[in-house]
Amino acid sequence: MGWKQRQCVPEPHAPQAPGSLPIGVRVRERIDHRRLSCGIELAVLPLEGRPVAAVEIRLPAGYAFESPEYLGVAHVVDETIVKGTAKRDGRELNDAFDAIGATHGSFAGRENFGFSFLCLPEFLDQAVALHAEMIRTPSFPPEDCAVGVDLTRQMLAALEDDPQELAKKLLHRQAYGEPLGRHALGEARTLERIGRDQIVEHWRRHFSARGMLVAVAGAVEPEAVADLFERYFEGFTGDGEHPPGFPLEFHPGRSHREKDLEQEQIAICFPGSAVADEDYPTGQVVIGVLAGGMGARLFTEVREKQGLVYWVGAWSDQSRFGGMFHLGASTTPANLEKTYATLLREIDRIGEDVTEAEVERAVNGIVTRSYTRGDITRARAGELVEDLFHRGRPIPAEEKIARFRAVTVRDVRAYLEKHPREHLSVVTVGPKELT
Amino acid sequence: MENEHASRNPWGTRFQPVGFQGFSTHSKPAFPLHCDGVFVMPSTFVQEKLPNGLTVVIESLPHVRSVACGFLVRTGARDDTPQLAGVSHFLEHMCFKGTATRDSIRINVEFDEMGAQYNAFTSKDRTFYYGWVRAEDFERQLELLADMMRSTLPEPEFETEKSVVLEEIAMSRDDLASTAYDALYENVCADSEMSWPILGYERTIQALTRDQMHAYFRRRYAPDNLVLIVAGNVAPDRVLAAAGRYCGPWAPAGDGSFRRHTPPVRTGSATRVCERFHQQAVMIAYPAAAGTDPMDETADATAAILGGVNSRFYWNIMQKGLSTRAGVFRDEYTDFGLTILFALCEPENCEKVCEAMRHEAAELTARGTEPKEIQRVRNLRRTSLAVESEAPFYRLGQIADDVEYLGAPRSPEQRLAAVNAVSAESVAEYLRRFPITGEGFLVSVGPRQWPA
Repeated sequence: MGWKQRQCVPEPHAPQAPGSLPIGVRVRERIDHRRLSCGIELAVLPLEGRPVAAVEIRLPAGYAFESPEYLGVAHVVDETIVKGTAKRDGRELNDAFDAIGATHGSFAGRENFGFSFLCLPEFLDQAVALHAEMIRTPSFPPEDCAVGVDLTRQMLAALEDDPQELAKKLLHRQAYGEPLGRHALGEARTLERIGRDQIVEHWRRHFSARGMLVAVAGAVEPEAVADLFERYFEGFTGDGEHPPGFPLEFHPGRSHREKDLEQEQIAICFPGSAVADEDYPTGQVVIGVLAGGMGARLFTEVREKQGLVYWVGAWSDQSRFGGMFHLGASTTPANLEKTYATLLREIDRIGEDVTEAEVERAVNGIVTRSYTRGDITRARAGELVEDLFHRGRPIPAEEKIARFRAVTVRDVRAYLEKHPREHLSVVTVGPKELT
Repeated sequence: MENEHASRNPWGTRFQPVGFQGFSTHSKPAFPLHCDGVFVMPSTFVQEKLPNGLTVVIESLPHVRSVACGFLVRTGARDDTPQLAGVSHFLEHMCFKGTATRDSIRINVEFDEMGAQYNAFTSKDRTFYYGWVRAEDFERQLELLADMMRSTLPEPEFETEKSVVLEEIAMSRDDLASTAYDALYENVCADSEMSWPILGYERTIQALTRDQMHAYFRRRYAPDNLVLIVAGNVAPDRVLAAAGRYCGPWAPAGDGSFRRHTPPVRTGSATRVCERFHQQAVMIAYPAAAGTDPMDETADATAAILGGVNSRFYWNIMQKGLSTRAGVFRDEYTDFGLTILFALCEPENCEKVCEAMRHEAAELTARGTEPKEIQRVRNLRRTSLAVESEAPFYRLGQIADDVEYLGAPRSPEQRLAAVNAVSAESVAEYLRRFPITGEGFLVSVGPRQWPA
């Protein structure tokens, strides 16, 4: 609020690379990877000398797993799971986190329900214990459940004040199909049906140590971390149903939502690669060529040369078994047609005239981010848990970098031939419809 | 994404001057440094002023693989004039548009060749250009950033970039929080240099000429009004040598004519009806400590207790279902500050939300803090200090604040001492100096005409 930034491009998806090793082996970079007897799949990256420990937990309990009658319930679980346990009320639980200076958060994502926390290494035991208490024995107080549903209803209505998120919601619904095209906040009619029983039921069915992924990075020792999670999650088998994931459909089309806004939102998507696909790194380089930096094509062609927008970007959206390219921009109605035409032109021509220099810059961007973000413990834990989810194993940074460095112009051209772009899914939101 | 709201660390604070004069070096023990129960990564500070007046501040972080550097320009929206509202921000855009040796495409491509994470922002009182690269690219990036500080503001690019800024203004009008923030300053600091938006107005941007911008640029981007900040795995003498090469020839402006004027902080209320929004933004502002104030850390702790993580606002306003987003933050400048209580709510809840915010402020003032609240802000601040010490990019903002408000960066020990000085008594004393129980200035933005 207090400052205005020159440019904002969506952060590219964390680089990933294919490959697989059996669980139980220790891979390079001293990443310890194992399955605990309680069912948790654990990866630990000891980083000597770091001042903190960062932990990421994922459960297959995101909104794709919701019952269709109760869309939005995963988000309500997220709103209420911190409101008390069998031993403490909500304030006591949060005070316990504060007492050790742990920063913590949770989210209900599409496929995963996630918990993240960060603390000084000496408090790791207490922080894990508190998470186990919260995940295993939430009390879901009735009054807090009612507030959680009401706040979710308010947030859903408030999407009208967030044009970019609104366009994204409409595009996902149009392009992705069920259940991956849902929105985290559900629908007004389904939220009305949600009470404490439905909240408890979502938790009961989807929360268990089986299917839980945990990544830990920082000043930690793998055996000690494994002992901690084994101890605190032993016997947490739950009633969990854990389908491996859902197919990501693609439905081309074009739609418009009329709305009183200063700008038009343009949202476009078309199919890409899953993280586990062999050609995933090449797809990420394509994103880099389009929008890896301010010298990339979209920023140059749409903003620098024509001044049509303040914001334009491209990124990928990855489900477990699929991937989608996204392009987005916002512009005043007078510039709508020209902006849209320029986006389409850039999507078309990238396969024809991409250069070696562009590929090199895109790769450099990915590699350098790997170095710079590698200095941040929390980022390492986040990357590690994504590896577990998408690839089933932790991927050493060197291996990822090697995969990206190997991408050539020829690979990019072949990739774009293999992924035709004549069918797009397009949503616009604003006062004017595309002709 | 666009117009990301400042995710300012509410505990990103300063306490007391280090007292650096000229060249100073603080040696640290081998890492990690154990500091009052907190491990922070070791670092070494150097601060020096080049003959042309450019201040160079360096923090060497031997444990990382990267280097972040930035130019802090002591100019922002408050240095615009009413007729030129928005010039500082527009100028920030133009510095990416060309130099004597590079056009705009070349500037962006060179950053991308390094794989840099780079950008710039403009606030009410400063403009900051920065980039973060692998350590081996440090000097190349510094040369590029330095070149941008001598932009030629190329005429052919001026009108194109003007369109971009107008798009940015349109985008900010579609954002409730931005609209409310601008409305707050327009009213609380009315008739002062703090009143206009950072982006300016459509009419002032439309009317702005390249010559007007150039005159402003020459006065404000002189080396004696800039600070070069470098943090990362790089030797200070290498930085100083490079700074001398790339910035040494810059001539000082010799123009000390510009002055800032502390604005009045008004009381009252104002409403801006915007029917396009679904929610209502309610904000109440009070005078707060300046960034230079010795109670700066306590000021931020007070805001955190009232409206931060696990705070009174969280439990007593949001978790009562009154608001999806409510909190307290402080905007601080060299000469004054504002404490801002805010909430987004459904329009019919305005009265309840406003009453609840005032009630919580009154309770804190009347009954004081609980020990666990003090402990919470201390502990979270300690953890954030440890996190911040990890990465060069995190360090830039903190160093910039220290240099602006205290004249030099603080060591980890000094920053922890500031954290530990926060107490129930200091919060009470702060609230006596900067009360949040009076009328304040209430601003409401949204579909409802409230207060009438």
